[in-house]
Amino acid sequence: MDHEWNDNQPIYRQLRDRVVAMILDGVLKEGDPLFSVRNVAAEYRVNPLTVLKGYQQLVDEGLVETRRGRGMFINAGARSLLLQGERQKFLGEEWPRIQATIQRLGLTVEELLKGSQRSSRAATKPDNPEKEL
Amino acid sequence: MHRSPGLRKAYGKTIALGGVDVRVEEGRILGLLGPNGAGKTTALNAILGLIPCQGELRVLGRDPWRERDELMRDVCFITDVSVLPRWIRVSQALDYIAGVHPRFDRAKAEDFLAKTNIRCSSRVQELSKGMVTQLHLALVMAIDARLLVLDEPTLGLDILYRKQFYDSLLNDYFDRNRTIVVATHQVEEIQHVLTDVMFIDRSRIVFARSMEELESRYSEVIVHPDKIAAARALKPMHERQALGRSILVFDGVDHQQLVALGDVRTPSVADLFVAVMDIQVSQAQGAAQ
Repeated sequence: MDHEWNDNQPIYRQLRDRVVAMILDGVLKEGDPLFSVRNVAAEYRVNPLTVLKGYQQLVDEGLVETRRGRGMFINAGARSLLLQGERQKFLGEEWPRIQATIQRLGLTVEELLKGSQRSSRAATKPDNPEKEL
Repeated sequence: MHRSPGLRKAYGKTIALGGVDVRVEEGRILGLLGPNGAGKTTALNAILGLIPCQGELRVLGRDPWRERDELMRDVCFITDVSVLPRWIRVSQALDYIAGVHPRFDRAKAEDFLAKTNIRCSSRVQELSKGMVTQLHLALVMAIDARLLVLDEPTLGLDILYRKQFYDSLLNDYFDRNRTIVVATHQVEEIQHVLTDVMFIDRSRIVFARSMEELESRYSEVIVHPDKIAAARALKPMHERQALGRSILVFDGVDHQQLVALGDVRTPSVADLFVAVMDIQVSQAQGAAQ
């Protein structure tokens, strides 16, 4: 997790999003404990109440559960629950913006496919010379 | 002794609350922000009951001026003007505080000092400016009190020690449920730690809000050039130009309405501070004309 916040969303929301990203990426697995509120607050220099608010969001979404006296843990099924939600969110919020950019730049479907082939090749081949440039 | 409000000037500086009820409540972290010379230290003195103020001020439920003795039992306070004598050794300073303050935890202060380059045998005059600040903090943070008051606590500290300071401040807050008041002009490094902010300008409190209010009420919009007339019609509290775009700050305007005008975000405390200070300047100019 990096230390920069953006101004578009409240910090608790961004904390929630970071944990979500870690679940989706498999960094945090089902049954894993969340970082303690104390550590997150000190590490990111944010108020502990802000961290709790972010964690509460995860509880409300059914992704995390509180075990009395032991802290918070990632629920079983959290990842698939998230994937569903995140797909909807992508289609509803991000895709229209990306689509608008595509239209503004006048990109065709062929050009986009070609572009995505190139980027997936670059991602799978670490020794790709293009990447070194 | 007879006191009348007209004689207040005899006490030196005072702070006006600018028509807002100021409350420092249990468990909050309040930041007092203002340009140099704005009256931050004066405001701290009012919060501590060292000077009277004009307006309604409550600290942990008490009137600090009238109930100063009761309040003082719950306070630990460090100011950058409370200079330690130059000849005193660090170990003697520890002895002294341990002697005068019943709630001073000497082991805690020594732990704190162990993380610095300060030796217990050093005299204050041998310490660098940053080290003196570290010593002050070690002494004050080791006092178990409900209210911790800090005046420019990180002035002169290097980056590594700043981090350590915030770590211990937040851990302490977490463990003891302290109430903290910090006066500073270093807004960026502290803004996410705060629960409340207050802006001070020319000895007046011109803005006092909780961070929740700040997030829910205020929006900053980078307005799309052809929407500028529509945006101005919504009565922004402030407008500035940056890189050819107009950036407008709104108070209490519906988010949905603003999204249509451009990119909407929550203003940072620093942005809001600039907006509020500009308004103060133009109001003062308006009054002068």
